[in-house]
Amino acid sequence: MSGRRSRSRQSSGTSRISEDQINDLILKLQQLLPELRDSRRSDKVSAARVLQDTCNYIRNLHREVDDLSERLSELLANTDTAQAALIRSLLTQ
Amino acid sequence: MESISPVSNQITQPTTTTTTTTTTSSSDRSRRKRRKKSQPSSVDSSQSTSLEKWRSEKQQQIYSTKLVRALRELRISQQPTSSSSSSNPRGGRAVREVADRALAVAARGKTLWSRAILSKAVKLKFRKQKRQRIPNPSPTKTTTLTTGSISIRSKKQRATVLRLKAKGLPAVQRKVKVLSRLVPGCRKQTLPVVLEETTDYIAAMEMQIRAMTAILSAVTSPPPPPPGHDGGHTHMLG
Repeated sequence: MSGRRSRSRQSSGTSRISEDQINDLILKLQQLLPELRDSRRSDKVSAARVLQDTCNYIRNLHREVDDLSERLSELLANTDTAQAALIRSLLTQ
Repeated sequence: MESISPVSNQITQPTTTTTTTTTTSSSDRSRRKRRKKSQPSSVDSSQSTSLEKWRSEKQQQIYSTKLVRALRELRISQQPTSSSSSSNPRGGRAVREVADRALAVAARGKTLWSRAILSKAVKLKFRKQKRQRIPNPSPTKTTTLTTGSISIRSKKQRATVLRLKAKGLPAVQRKVKVLSRLVPGCRKQTLPVVLEETTDYIAAMEMQIRAMTAILSAVTSPPPPPPGHDGGHTHMLG
């Protein structure tokens, strides 16, 4: 509990997580993002940038899912043969 | 006796992620058509990274089947008497929740966000039925009986995002907090946990989008049945 304020690399106390581990995770996250994947200049891309882009990307994904589910709900509400078409398409995939 | 062995075979094999009761037809289909692709997934079963799991074709088929089944039930339960009710705003939200729940089930409960999504649905059901429980906003893994003392204890024990000084920059801290709010179930988690959950969550959502797009495109313009077909049943049994 006394090591809470320590800014040293080995932040003792409750958190035993190293900086390198966090950097690795951020790198892995960077690989997922479509915009930062190609330019993998890890020196230039800061962690804040990665996190910001991650937030934006997740919001984009949420919006896409919402949009798709709206379309699906319209589809389900409109026609009765959508069910048959679904089953048929899944079987013949 | 013969019925038991294939069941146990499915349980012991870590690669076949399908449950035994449901989706047996989908596993047959996937096994018949994707036999070659299942082999690489069995090779890296020991260190199957979450990303590869969400990118595999088999996982997408499993999810699509679950989703279609859930949508069918949703449609049956939601059927209004007037057939001319188009552009139902509630319907979109319901479909989104169904899709998220199916995605959480496909995650097999190994990740925080999947458990949070599932517990959210369960909590809502309880709250509607009983109305006795304390409304708890934090979607943690524990039950809805978390009181204030437990949350205080968790703050002292774990280095939450607020306390961790490894990345002491305020900008990074802020963004991580925002991120932890976006990913379900990560509001009071430590920094590496949030990052790890985020990677899995992004991969899962990408698969969700791919699957939903495939379903939509398959339904809106269904491919014509191939010639030389006696009917639908031969394909199913073949």
